[in-house]
Amino acid sequence: MKISSFKWLFGRNSEFWPTNMKTGMLAWVGHRLSGLVLVAYVFLHLSFISTASMAEDGADFNALMETTSQPLFVAMDFLLVIVVIYHAMNGLRVVLFDLGVGIRRQKLVFWVTMAIAAVLIVGGLLAIWHLVFPAGGA
Amino acid sequence: MAEQRIATSKVAGTWAWAFQRLSAVLLIVFLALHLLAAHFIGVGEETGEEPLITFDEVSVRLDQMLYIVVDIGMLSMVLLHGLNGLRTVMFDFDMFVKRKKLIDVALWVVGMATLIWGVVILLPFITGG
Ligand code: HEM
Repeated sequence: MKISSFKWLFGRNSEFWPTNMKTGMLAWVGHRLSGLVLVAYVFLHLSFISTASMAEDGADFNALMETTSQPLFVAMDFLLVIVVIYHAMNGLRVVLFDLGVGIRRQKLVFWVTMAIAAVLIVGGLLAIWHLVFPAGGA
Repeated sequence: MAEQRIATSKVAGTWAWAFQRLSAVLLIVFLALHLLAAHFIGVGEETGEEPLITFDEVSVRLDQMLYIVVDIGMLSMVLLHGLNGLRTVMFDFDMFVKRKKLIDVALWVVGMATLIWGVVILLPFITGG
């Protein structure tokens, strides 16, 4: 591995967002980081469920579900939701640009996808609110 | 930087690039199905209690071929997309570019092993409950 300078970063950036260094760079770094986090999560997810699904009667699995429905875990799930939604919406934007859709209005497209992401995230927050704060909810 | 840097897209290949897009779009569909199946359909309906996922409920779902196919399909796409993404990032950082063949084989082995692992995890739900 050799990184002689940070030129690779700028090079990559200029490849896809030539006139949009700041927003595009941020979006890309965020996309890469979120992608790596998600890969790590997949393996975490599988290892948790695999240890819990050993018992044929499902007792271990139910215990795990019981544990992970506690407020702290639901709150952590919500962090995952944010990461997934950001990655998915920014990924959608990347795909659109590669298809030639919206490149001329890239800033607008970025903020529209982020607005959709925000709406989805708020929707998710509303859905889990009463699980994180049982006293205040339904 | 004395030497010219070869674009990552050339190292990783056009197929990998195209496939990353295809699997991305498919993943949005799978994610929607997954959320719908795991958290909205049927869960806690009979009891009216908090939507807690239970072994029995998952077993009932996994008695249906459709759920098995969707689950395995989703895991395959996640692994292909995730590991292919990892490959892109590594080559982009000039990691293992000279060992491309080895990395490709290693990632396929990891991917297939993980897919089998995932299917093994489903087995208790399919047979039990
Ligand atoms: C939910 C739907 C998803 C969409 C729409 C999506 C979209 C994309 C796209 C378009 C790229 C290519 C980015 C580029 O070349 O600039 C990408 C890269 C990547 N994705 Fe996803 N993705 C999704 C889910 C996931 C999941 C579940 C994982 C983890 C298993 C993941 C991990 C990665 C990684 C590691 C990269 C490479 C990052 C990079 O090249 O900088 N993605 N994603």
